Amino acid sequence: MPPAIEIRGLRKVYRTGFWMRPHVGLESLDLEIGRGEVFGFIGPNGAGKTTAIRCLVGLQAPTAGEARILGLDARWPLARRRLGFLPERPSFHPHLTARELLDFHARLFDLPAAERRRRTAHLLERVDLGRFADIRVSRFSKGMIQRVGVAQALVQDPEVLVLDEPMSGLDPPGRALVRDIVLEERRRGHTVFFSSHILPDIESICDRVGVLLEGRLQAEGTVASLLADGVAYVDCTVIGPEDPPLGATVLARQQDRWVLRVPPDGVAPLLRDVLAAGGRVLQVTPGRRSLEDLLLDEVARARPVHQQRLGVLA
Amino acid sequence: MRALVAIAATTFREAIRDRVLASLFFVAALLLGASLAAEEITIGDQAKVIRGLALGGISLSASVMAMFLGVGLVWRELEQRTIQTVATRPISRTTFVLGKYTGLVVTLAALVAGMLLLYLVLIGTHLGTPHPSLAGYAVLLAVDLMLLTAWATFFSTFAGPTMATVFTLSTFVIGHLADDIHRFGEQAATAGVHGVAGVLYWVLPNFQVLDVQAQAAHEVPVPLDHVLRAGGYGLGYTFLVLLAAVLVFERRDLN
Repeated sequence: MPPAIEIRGLRKVYRTGFWMRPHVGLESLDLEIGRGEVFGFIGPNGAGKTTAIRCLVGLQAPTAGEARILGLDARWPLARRRLGFLPERPSFHPHLTARELLDFHARLFDLPAAERRRRTAHLLERVDLGRFADIRVSRFSKGMIQRVGVAQALVQDPEVLVLDEPMSGLDPPGRALVRDIVLEERRRGHTVFFSSHILPDIESICDRVGVLLEGRLQAEGTVASLLADGVAYVDCTVIGPEDPPLGATVLARQQDRWVLRVPPDGVAPLLRDVLAAGGRVLQVTPGRRSLEDLLLDEVARARPVHQQRLGVLA
Repeated sequence: MRALVAIAATTFREAIRDRVLASLFFVAALLLGASLAAEEITIGDQAKVIRGLALGGISLSASVMAMFLGVGLVWRELEQRTIQTVATRPISRTTFVLGKYTGLVVTLAALVAGMLLLYLVLIGTHLGTPHPSLAGYAVLLAVDLMLLTAWATFFSTFAGPTMATVFTLSTFVIGHLADDIHRFGEQAATAGVHGVAGVLYWVLPNFQVLDVQAQAAHEVPVPLDHVLRAGGYGLGYTFLVLLAAVLVFERRDLN
């Protein structure tokens, strides 16, 4: 059985400006996402996440390589039969009501009228827009557009769901709603591939994560494995020193009581210095490494290489 | 096929909910009504002048509507990013372009039918039973609009509305001068000018063969043979332009 999503050597070069200078948007991306997995795609702005997603859903043709959905070439219309897609900053025909919009998308899947009515009503309730069903989407707020976008992505009950920044523009209840939908899809054995800048969401619901930088996949694996060398910093509460020890960041101070943050390898020297000076150690709390720390570390590590490439080919 | 119908229906719904189009239709109706006033200021065969003004108003209004709606047909979907959800459905780009085109043609057909109905009510009741040449005029106007809309659709697959309007308008104007270009080429002294005029005549669409407005105004019969030949030419040309539109759109990245 082929994987839900298979990307092999995907490369995208854009031609921009009057002289049609080549600009590398995506560089040899390889990725495989199994059925029933929730995969998070993270990276800074301009990393190539949206380009990869557009190639995957057939909006753009790759310069090289291929993308497959459930074993079918993503450029074939048939491959998109079991795909649901929410683009970044979605936009819909403003003259349609939410109900008409979902019905239109359901018709593109050739669903029978009764099934269309049932799915439309169910999905509008699912995204909490039931009472706005007959209002034109041109009157919707950004968050409501995002919700109706999630609903249209689910219109034919797809096995593979690709969501580009699904949390964007949503209030906390909206984000919780999308998280619930993603988890529900996973429970039903469906695959979800989504990009987001809201890293705690990725961390909490994804089985695996890919970090994309300058069009290249820098790191990929389960959240646990990526954050395995887990401790990012250590917070120490001590009593004693008159001045903050070198290398420590002062988080708080109350008379001779200090709360200091040090890197993991700075804990032993700090505690030694404090004790040697006759002070006391009240608390030592290791801080877990987050996806944000991982992303920032990867950006910092890759920066010199990126400075050389800068995306523009000579 | 059902996806094509769904896209066409949405395009039709979008067009008829467009206030600008409603305004254009209102202006066209005014033009038709105003043509009756020509009776007061015309000497000679007043009926011919009234029919000419009314039919000219219908042709002009319909052409303006075709251009106005056609040049933004595909471009608007790209600009508003509505294409991103539609094109990722299990439909081909060909289905999308043809669905949009069909929706617009149906819209124009409804508008022209409305205007002709108004013509029959306003002018027909005033000047008596309409001449059969009106049927030939209506058929060839429909083909004319299909061809013009195909050109506008083609340009909108790769150009913004301003450039697409310039291109479509140029094609429309040159197409209405096709016979003049041919005559100019025949009379040209140099072989180069003769050749260029000949190429232009054969490559560019000949909208003049589809224009029988003068015959309808003068109640001169339009031979069925001409309607069939000119209609066949127009439809064949429309097919080729749509094919070009599909080929261009199939190859472009949708951002």
